[in-house]
Amino acid sequence: MNSTITIFKKELKSFYLSPTFWTICFLISAVFSWVYPIQLNLFAQLLTNYVMQQGVPQNQLNIHYGVFLRQLSYLNLILIFVVPAITMKLFAEEKKMRTFDLLLTSPVTSLQIVLGKYFAALGAIGGLVFIALLYPISTAALAKINWIPLLIAFFGIFLVACVYVAMDLFASSLTDSSITSYVASVIFNVSIWFVGIGSEVMDGEVSRKIFEHISLSTHLSSLVEGTVRTNGLIFFLSLIVLFCFLAERVVESSRWR
Amino acid sequence: MIEVKNLTKDYGQRRAIDQLNFTIKKGEVIGFLGPNGAGKSTTMKIITGFMAPSHGTASIAGFDVFENPLEVKKRIGYLPETPPVYGDMYVRDYLRYVAELKQVSKDRREKLINNAIEKTNLGEVQKRLIQALSKGFKQRVGIAQALVSDPEVLILDEPTVGLDPKQVAEIRDLILSLRGHHTIILSTHILPEVEATCQKVIIINKGRIVAEDSIDALSMMDKGQSRLFVRLRKETPNMNSLLSDIPEIQKMQMGTTSREWNFEVQGGDEVLDSISARIVESGLGLVELRPTRVDLEDVFLKLTYGQQEGVQG
Repeated sequence: MNSTITIFKKELKSFYLSPTFWTICFLISAVFSWVYPIQLNLFAQLLTNYVMQQGVPQNQLNIHYGVFLRQLSYLNLILIFVVPAITMKLFAEEKKMRTFDLLLTSPVTSLQIVLGKYFAALGAIGGLVFIALLYPISTAALAKINWIPLLIAFFGIFLVACVYVAMDLFASSLTDSSITSYVASVIFNVSIWFVGIGSEVMDGEVSRKIFEHISLSTHLSSLVEGTVRTNGLIFFLSLIVLFCFLAERVVESSRWR
Repeated sequence: MIEVKNLTKDYGQRRAIDQLNFTIKKGEVIGFLGPNGAGKSTTMKIITGFMAPSHGTASIAGFDVFENPLEVKKRIGYLPETPPVYGDMYVRDYLRYVAELKQVSKDRREKLINNAIEKTNLGEVQKRLIQALSKGFKQRVGIAQALVSDPEVLILDEPTVGLDPKQVAEIRDLILSLRGHHTIILSTHILPEVEATCQKVIIINKGRIVAEDSIDALSMMDKGQSRLFVRLRKETPNMNSLLSDIPEIQKMQMGTTSREWNFEVQGGDEVLDSISARIVESGLGLVELRPTRVDLEDVFLKLTYGQQEGVQG
């Protein structure tokens, strides 16, 4: 347990002390500073012209749907490409720089290595999600906000990011090239959204149900609307455990290969 | 302290090490010698628990490397071929991280870090980023990293690569000062280093142990055999005709020019008389005649390269 914390602290520190991380933070806030006010402005216009416009979906008049959820979908898009950049150094670069030798000859288990690195990456991603959350928070000065659904929605996107981190950590453990790890991770992150498509092409009732259940978007959509459902949480958790387990197996395999 | 039995490692079809057997007692300093690709690093990696053997066992302080890796890893300090240093960390922070990884208790940590820094002369750079250091300093950080947990067993894979002569001498002194407290395995192909620091030498070639003995015993291996170096005033392309009837001369070899010759001779000093007399008589002009000792280098070359080429030198 202590070793997990040691690795966690070291990795988290190296994230928050690296210029790359702050560059990413800067770019993300630059994007949101451009998009978010525009989004907010459009929403304000929609409200003022509401009487004159017909056929506007009812939920678009809610700031949660009209502004926050859009911002979350942008955040998701950014995370698909940023999480691999955060995780690629965790194993691939260590292998390349031969610093992995140190970990493998220290009295730590593979599980401790993977967990330490996983939580450190979550710590870094948490920082990015927090930056995104600052925008809705600052909106509270202008409008009355229903906080609980907002926080649950951000929690939902953070859970998706946790899944990305687990998958990308696994991708990083497979190779000693950062580029390969990055590309594989992006493909993982993108393709997990396509699993759910199966439910649209399946004929059978049962198979459609299965695909619906393993689709990320099904579980995310209830979260972003502000409802926490246990089957969704279990789904996210099992994905995370699965990929952390796979990464642990890969790390362990270098001891007997 | 270290016990290796029938250790074998295959990389696919290629057998890297083959049935290695040796034991190392507590406090011994062992030189691990061999040409490139002989299996030195592979053996060290297995002993450190970095990789598993294909067959055979290795144990440190009674703990099997494969069955009980955590106990083994607590007891070793390992310097791999490439020092495992993080470029984005400060030297002192890095050593603290390694000490924490090796589960050094909190109250001993700072003392051991200071100790490692002092022993490897890193005092002036301890607050600098590792990536800003020169190769020699990085290597020293690597050595400090192996020392920082005050391990019972130190395994150093070519510790003096990239160091300047003064630093090499310092590392040599360091190893000498650690002798007795720590069991040390040192792999290198710099032979004077082994002669200066090690009590025992294991020479491996093509994955097999070809010699395992103390340095003195190895040097005496070719007892009665010695080398002669002769420098002449005149060029002598054909030495054979002159000296061929002296039976003690086993081999003649031309040096850099035909004025310089190397002989391998059997027997005592009497043979010097006949050789020098013969040369002086022939009027070639004897400038220098110097016996040279058979040293570790000769033994090493004979045992490793000699095997494949017949004994040639």
